[in-house]
Amino acid sequence: MEGKMTIFWKGMLFLSLWIISLGVFAQVITVRGTVTDANGEPLAGVTVLVQGTSTGTVTDVDGNFVLEGVSPSVTLDVSYVGMQGQVIPVNGRTTINVVLLDETELLDELVVVGYGEQRRREITGSVTNVTAENFNQGVTRDAADLLQGKVAGLQITTPSGDVTQNTRIRLRGVSTLQNDQGPFIVIDGVPGGDLQTVAPQDIESISVLKDASSAAIYGSRSAGGVILITTKRGSGLKPRISYDGYVAVSTIANKPDLLTADEWRSYAREHGSDASVYDKYGANTDWFDEITREGISQDHSLSLSGGGSNNNYRASFNYLQREGVVNDNDMERFNFRFQVQQRAINDRLRIGLTGTATMRDFREPNRRNFVLAYNMLPVYPVKLQDGEWFDTREYDQGNPVRNQTYNEDLKKNVHYYGSGDVLFNITDGLDIKTMLYKERQTEERSQYLNSETEAGRNDGGYALRENKIWDKNLMEWLLDYSTTFGSTDQHSLNAIAGYSWEENEYSFMKAANRNFTTDLLGANNLESGQGLRPNDVGSARNMSRLISFFGRAHYGYQSKYMVTATLRRDGSSKFGANHKWGTFPSVSAAWGISEEPFLNDVKWINDLKLRVGYGITGNQAGLDPYKTLQLYGTSGTYYDNGTWLTAYKISQNANPDLKWEETSMFNIGLDFYLFNERVNGTLEWYDKRTTDMLYTYRVPTPPYLHPDMMANVGDMKNTGVELALNIDAIRTRNFNWNTSITLAHNKNEITRLSNDLYTTSRIMVGDAWVRGGSGRTTHVIEEGYPVGQFYGPEFVRIDEDGKYVFRNKEGEEVNSVTAEDYTYIGSAQPDLTFGWNNQFTYKNWDLSFFFRGTVGNDVLNMGRMTYGHPGYLIGANALNDPLVDQLKVVPEYSSLYVEDASHIRLDNMALGYTFNTTGINWLERARIYATGQNLFVLTGYKGLDPEVDENRNNGLAPGVEDREYYPKSRTFSVGINLTF
Amino acid sequence: MKNIFYITLMSTALILMGGLYSCTNLDETVYDTIPADQFGKKPAEINAIIAPIYKTLKSLWPGDIFLLSEQTGDMAITPTRIGGDWWDGGVHMVLKLHTWHARNGLINGAWNASMSGITTCNQIYATVEGTEMDENLKKQTLAEIRGIRAFWYYILIDYFGNAPLVADYESTELPGMSTRQQLYDFVIDELNDIKDVLRDDVSGESYGKFTQGAAYTLLAKMYLNAGVWTGTPNWQGVIDAADKVMSLDYIIEPNWKINFEVNNQVSKEIILPIAFGKADGGNHLHKRTLHYLDPIALGINVGTWNGVSAQPDYVKQFDDADLRKEGSFLIGPMIDPSTGQVLITAHARQLIHTVDFNIIPGTIREGMWGEVHQEEGARVNKWVFEKGLSNSDQENDFAIFRLADVYLMKAEALLRLNQNNAEATRLINEIRQRGFGNNSHNYTTATLDDLFLERRLELAWENTNRQDMIRFGRFLSPGYLRPSTSPAHLLLFPIPEAAWETNNNLVQNPGYPPF
Repeated sequence: MEGKMTIFWKGMLFLSLWIISLGVFAQVITVRGTVTDANGEPLAGVTVLVQGTSTGTVTDVDGNFVLEGVSPSVTLDVSYVGMQGQVIPVNGRTTINVVLLDETELLDELVVVGYGEQRRREITGSVTNVTAENFNQGVTRDAADLLQGKVAGLQITTPSGDVTQNTRIRLRGVSTLQNDQGPFIVIDGVPGGDLQTVAPQDIESISVLKDASSAAIYGSRSAGGVILITTKRGSGLKPRISYDGYVAVSTIANKPDLLTADEWRSYAREHGSDASVYDKYGANTDWFDEITREGISQDHSLSLSGGGSNNNYRASFNYLQREGVVNDNDMERFNFRFQVQQRAINDRLRIGLTGTATMRDFREPNRRNFVLAYNMLPVYPVKLQDGEWFDTREYDQGNPVRNQTYNEDLKKNVHYYGSGDVLFNITDGLDIKTMLYKERQTEERSQYLNSETEAGRNDGGYALRENKIWDKNLMEWLLDYSTTFGSTDQHSLNAIAGYSWEENEYSFMKAANRNFTTDLLGANNLESGQGLRPNDVGSARNMSRLISFFGRAHYGYQSKYMVTATLRRDGSSKFGANHKWGTFPSVSAAWGISEEPFLNDVKWINDLKLRVGYGITGNQAGLDPYKTLQLYGTSGTYYDNGTWLTAYKISQNANPDLKWEETSMFNIGLDFYLFNERVNGTLEWYDKRTTDMLYTYRVPTPPYLHPDMMANVGDMKNTGVELALNIDAIRTRNFNWNTSITLAHNKNEITRLSNDLYTTSRIMVGDAWVRGGSGRTTHVIEEGYPVGQFYGPEFVRIDEDGKYVFRNKEGEEVNSVTAEDYTYIGSAQPDLTFGWNNQFTYKNWDLSFFFRGTVGNDVLNMGRMTYGHPGYLIGANALNDPLVDQLKVVPEYSSLYVEDASHIRLDNMALGYTFNTTGINWLERARIYATGQNLFVLTGYKGLDPEVDENRNNGLAPGVEDREYYPKSRTFSVGINLTF
Repeated sequence: MKNIFYITLMSTALILMGGLYSCTNLDETVYDTIPADQFGKKPAEINAIIAPIYKTLKSLWPGDIFLLSEQTGDMAITPTRIGGDWWDGGVHMVLKLHTWHARNGLINGAWNASMSGITTCNQIYATVEGTEMDENLKKQTLAEIRGIRAFWYYILIDYFGNAPLVADYESTELPGMSTRQQLYDFVIDELNDIKDVLRDDVSGESYGKFTQGAAYTLLAKMYLNAGVWTGTPNWQGVIDAADKVMSLDYIIEPNWKINFEVNNQVSKEIILPIAFGKADGGNHLHKRTLHYLDPIALGINVGTWNGVSAQPDYVKQFDDADLRKEGSFLIGPMIDPSTGQVLITAHARQLIHTVDFNIIPGTIREGMWGEVHQEEGARVNKWVFEKGLSNSDQENDFAIFRLADVYLMKAEALLRLNQNNAEATRLINEIRQRGFGNNSHNYTTATLDDLFLERRLELAWENTNRQDMIRFGRFLSPGYLRPSTSPAHLLLFPIPEAAWETNNNLVQNPGYPPF
């Protein structure tokens, strides 16, 4: 405890001493140079600004400029209308000649990579960068919404219509059995970020590090890839105020087709059932209509930015309010972000401060209400004629509207962080940078289940308060050295070395009570309950520490040959005593083929680059603190002479060998810009192999105390091909059409599950619970098969007796099968995922539409399996499905319910108009737009939506539309962007 | 220029080196659990460490082991209800029809519970053995741990026959099989070793602990079944052990129901209980047995599952005059107190629990097994439902051993030996008289059949059905829903396939397909 705080403060102390000492070494120089275009013609009137200041000049008729009295460490912003701007670090040079390229030449753009930036042309790894103009439009909550379908190989799925639920992100397939968290998020250089803390309107660009050679610098947390988010910053040019706002309305896109009251009545009649005991209210209720609504959303975003000669700032505020289509689901979010940078000591010192706060109030829906809405009879009313609520205690029944009306589950999440970073230019090309960062997230939960409602009646009212706090302290040091050498500066070298120290702490406490005399107090007076149990109070606290050393060297020769090597060494307190430190190297190289003389004459090739990379990354997300230790934990209570005392038990089978999962990836890619850059794209192939996969294996008891134990055992493989293609199909003065396609194919395979200690050939996972169907599993984890492999009986048909006919292992058609007859009946993993975007501009109008989808994946339609049979009719409702007439037996999991979920979705369509503001000096930009999201889905899948939760059952049983599935919404919005 | 560079470099290096230890320190601070070497010094801590051995008993009843005992015999059944509730892949059906296999989840659960019980005892034994404490207390504590471990081996001997014999926690080798005889000898030796070290008081303090009473009762159980388990009966052993138990301060409680009350820890008849508490949970029998709407009639607030019921023929052996009939079974109409009317199920039928089941035509699954209506079947009514019970498990303890059982064991041994019929009859009558509330149903000369019946009347739902039926040679005989004699290998359950998957040294029991 003491040691931990010491290091943080020690760092602070050294830092401040060090900054003070730096003032001594100030120095200034004069920089001159010439600006020309690609053909060597001088450019007059080009603005050359010292970045972050208003110091600057313009070039004369010969394209020359002179800047006096600047620090050798500054960066120049060179810009000219119609040309692509450049950002050039001076690095102590006194002569800088600049070649500006036409605006269409994107190759010299700086792209954010791990711990730095690189020119697109120089990048050797697999990095996809998406900037603000290409983001998805409409109602977006975070960066993932902006990127959906935009990056080949980055699969972003919306698991349900719940507006509080995060999207699921996967890059190049699943690579762990431990609840794949997807890519590692880095926000403005801070590793381990939360997407919720950045409003989409604040995002400037997003880089996705796809292969191990680019991600390995993030070491033991980067096996799922890395997403780098860069927020907008103020510029020293002029103050700017922007407002973005929209309102949107969402409706349920698809609801289940249950028997209506009339259909239910005629079913009862046809089957000679006595409906009178139920049908005595004259009701005609569509329970799904009753629990859903039109959800209204709004978003307002205001930002101001600007700067002076030595500083820049940006402050923004975003308010997002969303209502889910289900009555008890909504969220409200406030994002504040403030950034300021100040230069000093002749621009050699740069200090930046960032502060953000995100406050969210949200209510997650009680999904049990879907089960009730499926089961409740359509002839039951919501309320009786005297205004009293109707209710029933029948199994899986109860009034869902009453649940929604009186029960509350509110979470208040506050997430704030601040960072200070200091950059000092030590000498030519050598910078040292340090960052101190503090983050705290708190979440308070307040739940009350009313004593009259289905959810709260057994407890006589249930109140819960819960508090969680996550703390993170981070310190980073970075040395960055850049230089060029050789007669014509044809060699360039950049090297960085860094150290990072991170500590995370989590604590939790809860208190609950039951049996309340009155429901009026809700969860605000826990002490008034009369049913307190010992385990109604709880608390926990844990910590972990991650310490890293890392470095990278990049060498380039005339943009023709580039080599990058990185190395990271990560030590984590979560790793076992025998494996405290892991090493994660990578190397990659690129060949700028188009720079070769033999392609100089090929005019239609603007750029062609071949990249090859290999690296090793790690994943430790599945590893909780203390897993490697032999610990006593509490284990309920025991009876001792009239009282109940707390029992203690060894809480786990300690495994001192536990460590990270290791993923090595080989990547080969081709970047091309053709036909005057009207066609560009990337084609990539990768082979990704994960070893030492963490899994909680079953172990024999005895000798082990507990029947399971976490260990690094299995191997997995992902191989795939990705294509991203962007075409400026039409490019005229008034009309432009740009179309882009991303295609990704990934093949996942578990290659090993056993080692000398743990032997398992096959792990059955996934619950297919239906009434009377306990103990059935849906998926298998097995060597030679992918994660998400459905495993069960092969369905043939339903016979005339209403029984299932399956095929057994002898190939015969039989009514019942045993586990020996189960077979592989589908896979949740798609063969192909695709996105297709089109953007049209005509004069001031812009129109875009965006399709995305998958091919070849299967989804288990649990809704149909659970509710598509007549077993509980007429006492409970069922789907209006042919199976209700055909089946006479208990629903049983089989290939019948595993359906092809290939689909194409019109995910987004936007129409905008940008006003001509040239005559208005106070207005820079004004645009109005309308969008539609999730407009339609073409699919053969019979359930509610073919895209479901990837993370179900820790990601081991994906591709299931559960019986409490929250249907997605269709959303229309109108909005405005204004910049002053 | 150079100077600046070096100065900065040096100072940076110094900073990094100065803090080098703390810069690379990865020690964990453990907050909400306790590193094992820092716990177990004080008496209260030691007490808390021992507690899990008793908590292992919770998996004995009313979970998988309970179902294996009562549903493979002729006591209980979890029928498939209309629509398919409780079908669960036929896991309950195979117990009744005697068609189970090594992948049955309930059998696997029973195996895991026993193995976990044994390993927990081994671990705690090793811990306590290495702890500094009062020598006498230590000796007694270790004896308690060995007692519970012996009990779990008794369960293994009874259900699986052959199993690994592991008494050492430090060994990490995957154990192989020991024979039923070896396990039997181990348990007898252990019990003889510890029985007189254990405390012999019958008091609040000893309640819930493995006492001398428990050791001798377990010894009696071992000898009672010795003929089945080893081929060599030891009826005299039963008598001697039972006499020892009867010489302790236990009594046959005058009020039979005391043993099943919410606060039944006051019963001086209970020798070894599973101490259940609402907060800690575990006694979920009410959920398992009651219909979804029964709580309305019974005045409790619990979501129930409509599962286990009694087999009709078992209920029918009860004399209507026997107070234990209503005391064991919930039969008849269930009334909604707010309306005075019989409750109506979601199949539009009156909620009347009948003794008999009627298979709904066209729902046959296998053999004679089919679906029945929700309300059919006599439910468990032995453990008193606590009025107002709110969304929790029950407080009522379960008596693994109680004195009435010991009386009947001794009576059985006497009858088997053809010795002292008068004493045997007296023992049986004492139980019977309490059951009926008068002596008008007493036997003058009890037979072995009378004894067998009395055990069934007294011990319904109490985990004795299968063992008794095997001992009386009736387990394999045709019975309800099962028209033909079962093969003899079913007297033992198979070693679960899942257990073999983690330990290939296990060998399947005879008669089942080998691994």
